[in-house]
Amino acid sequence: MLDSELLEQIVKNLKEINSKLDRLVMQVEDREEQATEKKRMMADSLDVITLLSLPDHLRTTATTLFEIGPATAEEIAKITHKERAVESNYLNQLVRMNHVKKYREGRKVYFRINESLKK
Amino acid sequence: MTLTIAIHSSKGGTGKTSIALNLAVAFAASGKDTCLIDMDLRGPSLCSMFKAKNNFWINDFLSGKCSIKDTLNDIQKDMETSGHMYLSFSNPDIGEIRDLVSKDRNWQAGALKALMTGKKELAEEDMDVIIFDTSPGVEYESINAVAASDMVVIVHNDTNACNNCTEQLIKGVYELLDKKRAIIDNMCHDNCLDLTERTRHGAPILATIPCMCEIATRSKNEVLVNTEPEHIFSKSIMRIRDKIEAMQ
Repeated sequence: MLDSELLEQIVKNLKEINSKLDRLVMQVEDREEQATEKKRMMADSLDVITLLSLPDHLRTTATTLFEIGPATAEEIAKITHKERAVESNYLNQLVRMNHVKKYREGRKVYFRINESLKK
Repeated sequence: MTLTIAIHSSKGGTGKTSIALNLAVAFAASGKDTCLIDMDLRGPSLCSMFKAKNNFWINDFLSGKCSIKDTLNDIQKDMETSGHMYLSFSNPDIGEIRDLVSKDRNWQAGALKALMTGKKELAEEDMDVIIFDTSPGVEYESINAVAASDMVVIVHNDTNACNNCTEQLIKGVYELLDKKRAIIDNMCHDNCLDLTERTRHGAPILATIPCMCEIATRSKNEVLVNTEPEHIFSKSIMRIRDKIEAMQ
């Protein structure tokens, strides 16, 4: 093979590698963008239209939490006239759905409406 | 105990603002400290009837820029009511309205939390009645106001569209949020003050108000409950006030 032919082959291969790399970079960027979007959707705080679409039992719990602000499962249960353990279960479901935040103060566990991305 | 009422309707132009304003003045006239908040953020009306005396709008409060008390304008002296009569205006600036339309769900979630907090703040100040004048149909601002209220008063016109949409609103919104509800039949064409039905879609009917051009023309410059308490409209509003109180 002539030197010039060899050189041409190398340039051709390099170009192919280059375009493959470009495609890979684009794929990675797309994936990152999708992940951020997903994260943004997941961390949504609880708006009233989402509240309306919750199943009845969860909506009652969430509405009560909206009304009285940060509260323990026991405080919610007193208002909804359900067992503490039942409300605790509902509140934890709302936590898993990212609508409610759970935190500890001393020995008590409190819940509040998620507002991490309020603005 | 503070009573919070949302004045809402499924369709526009049913007379929500006239009823909200007159009802607020009727409550204040009976000695209750009353606050009327213009939650029709996309089509503000109160600001065109009264002059704002302070620098803050309800929009500022919902965005977390001020406290709800900063937005209040006391018109007790103008209305000569025995209780305080506060108004909270929505900003009529078109830039502000355009900005509002582009707000996302997270802003609306924050606005609902703000409304809940504002309601508590006003209750701590011993406000007796809070009335939200809302925009028609299912808009974030109006449903937020409904969610923050103890009861919804639906201002209804007798058209098929209004009938169907009202039923949907009751079943798909108010019932789900567990709100007390009542209906006012406004602008009735059969010139009858008597209630033809007691309840509709499970909600009591508070009054039947006949259609009178005078209510629209005079409402431009006056609050009928204040200027002519003996007017048929004013008397209906007083009856509505008493029935709402009896429902609590």
